[in-house]
Amino acid sequence: MNLNIDSIKNQTYDAIIVGSGVSGGYAAKELTEKGLRVLVLDRGRQMEHVTGYTPSYKDPWDFKYNGLLTNEQKATHPKLARDYPYNEMTETYWFNDSDSMYKEEKRFDWFRPNIVGGKSIMWGRQTYRLSDIDFEANLKDGIAVDWPIRYKDIAPWYSYVEKHVGISGEALGLPQLPDSEFLKPMDMYCVEKEVRKRIEKNFPGRNMTIGRVANLSEAKQAQLGIGRSACQYRNKCRLGCPYGAYFSSQSCTLPPAAKTGLMTLRPDSLVSEILYDDQKQKAKGVRVIDTVTKDVREYYAKIIFVCGSTVSTTALLLNSKSRRFPNGFGNDSGELGHNLMDHHFKIGASGVWEGDEDKYYIGRRANGIYIPRYRNIGNDKRDYLRGFGYQGSGSRQGWNRGVGDLNFGIEYKESMTKPGPWMMGLSGFGETLPYHENKMYLDPNTKDKWGLPVVVFDAEFKENEKKMRKDIMEDAREMLESAGLKNVRAFDNGSYPGMAIHEMGTARMGRDPKTSVLNGNNQVHAVKNVFVTDGASMTSASCVNPSLTYMALTARAADFAVKEMKKHNL
Amino acid sequence: MNINRREAVQRVVMLMGGVVSAPAMAGLRGEKLNHGAFVHVTAEQESLLAEVADVIIPTSGTPGAKAAGVEKFIVRVVRDCYPKEDQEHFYAGLAKLEANCQAKTGKSFAQANAVEKKEALTGIMLESDAERTANRGKKAPTPFFFMMKELTTTGYFTSEIGATKALEYLPIPGKFDGCMPLAPGQKTWAL
Repeated sequence: MNLNIDSIKNQTYDAIIVGSGVSGGYAAKELTEKGLRVLVLDRGRQMEHVTGYTPSYKDPWDFKYNGLLTNEQKATHPKLARDYPYNEMTETYWFNDSDSMYKEEKRFDWFRPNIVGGKSIMWGRQTYRLSDIDFEANLKDGIAVDWPIRYKDIAPWYSYVEKHVGISGEALGLPQLPDSEFLKPMDMYCVEKEVRKRIEKNFPGRNMTIGRVANLSEAKQAQLGIGRSACQYRNKCRLGCPYGAYFSSQSCTLPPAAKTGLMTLRPDSLVSEILYDDQKQKAKGVRVIDTVTKDVREYYAKIIFVCGSTVSTTALLLNSKSRRFPNGFGNDSGELGHNLMDHHFKIGASGVWEGDEDKYYIGRRANGIYIPRYRNIGNDKRDYLRGFGYQGSGSRQGWNRGVGDLNFGIEYKESMTKPGPWMMGLSGFGETLPYHENKMYLDPNTKDKWGLPVVVFDAEFKENEKKMRKDIMEDAREMLESAGLKNVRAFDNGSYPGMAIHEMGTARMGRDPKTSVLNGNNQVHAVKNVFVTDGASMTSASCVNPSLTYMALTARAADFAVKEMKKHNL
Repeated sequence: MNINRREAVQRVVMLMGGVVSAPAMAGLRGEKLNHGAFVHVTAEQESLLAEVADVIIPTSGTPGAKAAGVEKFIVRVVRDCYPKEDQEHFYAGLAKLEANCQAKTGKSFAQANAVEKKEALTGIMLESDAERTANRGKKAPTPFFFMMKELTTTGYFTSEIGATKALEYLPIPGKFDGCMPLAPGQKTWAL
């Protein structure tokens, strides 16, 4: 008996965090720094900072296929091979399709990392604050439910995380895109500087700025102190950065958590269920499958942070059934799994810049320019709701520009060793509305290799998004043409939910337990000791990249949770 | 299939992914699958590829495609990454180049002189151009010349010789300046 009690004691923590990505890593840092003993569980394999980033140390000639996928990889990864994130260089960072089964009523591109740190290693690092235009949008439009928070509630937490993370960018003072705590902005190409001037002159109310990005344009004490250094402009971020120059869990949140001595990090740990205690009306712990030994174990804690990334988080909640919650953990509202969102993108325009032949650049900037939302703001009214922003970049064409030309030989070779013409492109990212009918659910009749029911996706972009896309394409063309670019070509390469890897919603925050899963502190309405702080909690999508908001929501919820624990409310 | 575009996509991913044309993206997604079936390539075919590659990117002030071993890259990528139909089309094009050269000069491509090689490849280039025009808007394998030129170009400029000798390779720039004067003699960045 003593043995049993001891082992329960050994498996008991103050807090359990499911997932170690952007949100889970942040929860680990905050909760350990506040003195909690924390267990972090990730289903991915261990990924050591610096030494784990094997592909990042390779030169171009070390890759067999210059990044291309082989026919075999395409056959064994039919879904992952649909788009760029899975390629020769990053192949070891993602789950095989066979380890990541899911079904589609409608196409959904689901990219699942198989590493500790999750997508914080491969993310795009663009970091923007939401504004009250976003937080008030659902209420004003009469869409879905109102956010239970406003900008003033989260603004100090944005500042708090930004000072630690390090965000480079330029302050603009725009109401629709509040400024962050910035490190110095990265430089623009000559073409970008000129196009910016012309767009801002020709289209009053529109702005162009350098991308706000979680890369260290300079390293301050907050970063140097945890072993990070400034960006080396290699543009290999997605392979992992040995310099710790961009935000990842490995560079930024797990080291301070580890330093407290209070964190236990367990890779290869697939959380299959959250355990509910009927008597105490609280969660008591989690059930975990060790994906290496196949052992099933339980761990217990006073509070649980679910940060598995949107879809995995909600799949876990849906799979956690009890007498109290027959339809999924905390699912009194019936909204769990619904209101699935992603940004729609892959649409815009590009053109050729005549001039600046005598200008060049040094370094590979892992960042572009940004045009903040200007539609449906102030007096602007469109035939659709919400808006979009553009990411874009200038570039100077290189050695691969002539492969379609009718020439070869010494002249061809020599011309390719000289820089080609400058180009400029804009690519829109649009907000998607939170539709109740856009959903994910579990198929009890189809089990994955761990015996867990697989996720089924049933979500699509609808009329509002389609109308918005016309504006995205036409506005991009118009801005580039007015800025003097030649041969401007608009494009729409089609966009499917999931592909932007900005999946959001499915366990939304709200004011009313009847229509939402979480309250304004990311706390499950009906189970106060469980918090969900990743993309699943988003009530609407905004049009900006969401990760910074997950960090701020997580830090805010961690602060709330520890205060509540001290008041003995949890 | 357009590997340079693919690489370009990887470089600027979320920022500029959309700039790649729709057909190129379709190719990149690898919509046609080939479950392991591939065309077997002989040593003669491989050395012929080296000869053709060296005409496309010859030795000038810097070593050419043959010196960089580009034929190995071409054989590997075609075998492992292209659908079998495209592989067959590609090697049929290579055979046609050899046959044309034999018919015109009585010599194999490898033994032809520089002028004869250039003429033979120009002939194939013009045929490929006509094929490309005829195929516009249709789903068809890339004509031989353009596929060969693209593979040669990519294989060469991403080889150690191509990247560090023909181009300027700066693995760790350490800084970014987006708008500076182009120095005389400045070569294209390898990355």
